[in-house]
Order: sequence, then C-alpha cells, then structure tokens
Amino acid sequence: MTVSGKNMNCEEYKEAIAADPSATFEGADHAAACDSCAAFTVEMQALDAKIAGALAINTPNLEMPELPPIEDDNVVNMPFQGKRRVPTWLAIAASFALAAIIGVQLIGNEAGDGLSLADEILAHLDHEPGAFRETVNPVGDARFSRVVNAKIGTMDRGVGLITYAQSCVINGKTVPHLVLQGENGPITLLLMPDETIDMAKTFMGQGVNGVIIPHGEGSIAIIGENEQSIGEIEQRVIDSVEWSI
Amino acid sequence: MTSNDAHSKRRRRFDRVVSVFHQDMYRYATWLCRDPSIAEEVVQEAMLRAWKSLDALREDSAAKPWLLTIVRRENARYFERKRLETVDIDNLSPAQSAMLAEKDDSQLEVLRQAIFKLEDDYREPLVLQVLMGHSTKEIAELMGMQQGAILTRLHRARIKLKDVVEQEAAQ
Repeated sequence: MTVSGKNMNCEEYKEAIAADPSATFEGADHAAACDSCAAFTVEMQALDAKIAGALAINTPNLEMPELPPIEDDNVVNMPFQGKRRVPTWLAIAASFALAAIIGVQLIGNEAGDGLSLADEILAHLDHEPGAFRETVNPVGDARFSRVVNAKIGTMDRGVGLITYAQSCVINGKTVPHLVLQGENGPITLLLMPDETIDMAKTFMGQGVNGVIIPHGEGSIAIIGENEQSIGEIEQRVIDSVEWSI
Repeated sequence: MTSNDAHSKRRRRFDRVVSVFHQDMYRYATWLCRDPSIAEEVVQEAMLRAWKSLDALREDSAAKPWLLTIVRRENARYFERKRLETVDIDNLSPAQSAMLAEKDDSQLEVLRQAIFKLEDDYREPLVLQVLMGHSTKEIAELMGMQQGAILTRLHRARIKLKDVVEQEAAQ
C-alpha cells in the first residue's frame, strides 16, 4: 500500500485513509474532488472516534511493585551469594554428608524424581532471585488470590507475612511461588498440588537449603538460606495448605 | 553519593518518566492479553524491569515507546511461561466480561467485543495507533515490522470493525 503519490485512485486512497484516518499525506486532497472518498473519510473518522471510545477502558487502582534498592540489582545476577556466609566447600561437603545420612541421592541426574524436581526448583530460584528479599510489605489480597487460586487450593495467610506471590512453571506445571518472611529471613514456598512424592527430600543449592515435603496428593517445597533453619516452619506451612480436590 | 541518595535520585527519575505512564501501560497490556487480571501482573513485572534497566533509557522523551516495548516483551514472556490457550470469547472470566461491558452503551460494547475478537496482528497496531497515539512509523519500529505491513494491518482492522458496526446498525 502506498500513502504517497498525488495521483492516487479511489481504492488506494481508501486503503490509505483506513490505515490512518488522521493522516495527512500526499494525495489526501483526492477526497476534495471525489464525493465517494470524502464520504468514506468522514465515515472512517467517525469509526475511529468510536474505536477510541471502545478502547478507553477504565483502569483500576494500580499498585506500584516494590522497587528494590539498586544494590540488589547487582545481586540479581548472582543470586544469594551476597548473603552467603557458609563457604562453598563447606556447603558442598554438607550436601554430600546429608545425602549419605538420609539415603537420598542428591548429586547427578540419575538420582530419580526427587532430584530432578529439586534441580528444577533450584534453577527456578536462580531465575527469580528478586523474590528472595527481606521486606515488610505484604502481597496484595487480589494478587495472592490469583496465584493461590481455586484450582490450586487454599492457604491460610495466618501462616506468616507473605511478601511475594507469583504463578510459576515448575516441572511443566503452573504452581504458586510464595515468599514468607521467617524470623531469620525470607523463605520460599512452592505449592505443588500435582507433584506426588513418597517421603520428604532435602536438597541444597548455592547458598540455600530446602526440603520437599509430601502433602496429600501433592508436595510443598520450602527453601531458606543455608544458615537458616526451616524445620520449625514446616508443620505450620503444611497445616496452612489445603489442595482443591 | 551514598546508596540512599542514588536510590532517591533514581526513584525521582522513575516517577517522572515511568510512573506517569502506568495507566497507559495497563491499557496497552489489557488489550494485548485481553485479560485485566493478567494485564496487572504483566505491568507489575514490566515496571520492575523498567526500574532495573532505567539506565538503558538514554532520553526521557523516549520513555513511552520504551515502556510499551517492555510491556510487549513481558506479555510475550507471560504467555510463553503459562502456555495459555487463546481467549475464548464465549467463555470469558468475570474480569473480561466486565471489561467488555464497562459502560452502559450497547454499540460501544459491540465494538469492544469486535476489537476483542480481532486477531492479535490487527488489534495491536490499532491499539498503538488509536489509544497510544503512535504514528505508523513508530508502530512499525515498536513491532519490528515494515511500515507498509502495519498500514495493511490497520486498514484491514478498520474494515473488519466497519463491517461489524454496519451489521449492528442493520439489525
């Protein structure tokens, strides 16, 4: 389609004016000498006014997200490392020891479903490190309800201060990713109604430790920083969640 | 400059050049994804991205197309992540229905439904042109397309809507 050229015919003119009824282009004077095109122009401009009215939807009270201090941005690319107090070698050694003690293989891809799920969780946390920050601002009720929706189940917000809620894909399924402010820092929760496991599985990542706990037909992942004890909060979280049937 | 000063300075610039477009971002996102609830999430994420990459915005005057590009990408990410199905006009959520029937004006509602049903390729340039006030050249840049292709889509979108309005009037 051309929008220029003084020798536009009616078809070209109508195409051009329908593409932009407010346009002033070379050839726009075609309508001055053509009743049909003049009428079409008026029609298009009237339609545009209606389109503008239809598009002008009301906006709700929009919440501005919490804007992290700029220093946090530097942490984003290297999640959790800024707060890590346990040396890497010790964390690795601890993970081997833990695996040996509880009989769960945590290293290597051949270690079974628990491992692949744990790996996926750790990869996801690396992808969304911005969620893992200390704050006192609770997530809004509307957002929380959208994330922990009827398809998932219910969660009693009395469990603690929830400051982050996002629907995320873990193992191909959309699950609530929440952050609860624990006594010693933020704790990540992943509510996974469709991930059935036989027994609790612990895992460790770079600067974090976690556990996947069976809960009904599903499971819940609880992840804290390495030095943080998450055992005390496990039962509280479990008690707060009910899956939809 | 202390980190607090830097944060405050950044926040002031953000409020001046970004926050003022919050509603525009929401409207654009709503028409992109056709769901007010999802639009809110998309815009929240877009705001965070804008905050983090504010330094990439060299000229404040370019804020609007820059923000709309972020919203556009965030919307694509959202749908990629969720693998959502296309919107079924006969099976709308309460929020979507409320959006379509926002004003007590049946003609407007019919037109809004028609825009809602337009293919993404037609709806998006129309929203950018009519609602956001962008020129066809700017839309082409924002969508990464040739201006001629944008003109064709806009022309076709309006002809489709014109047909709907005429059919409604004939009833």
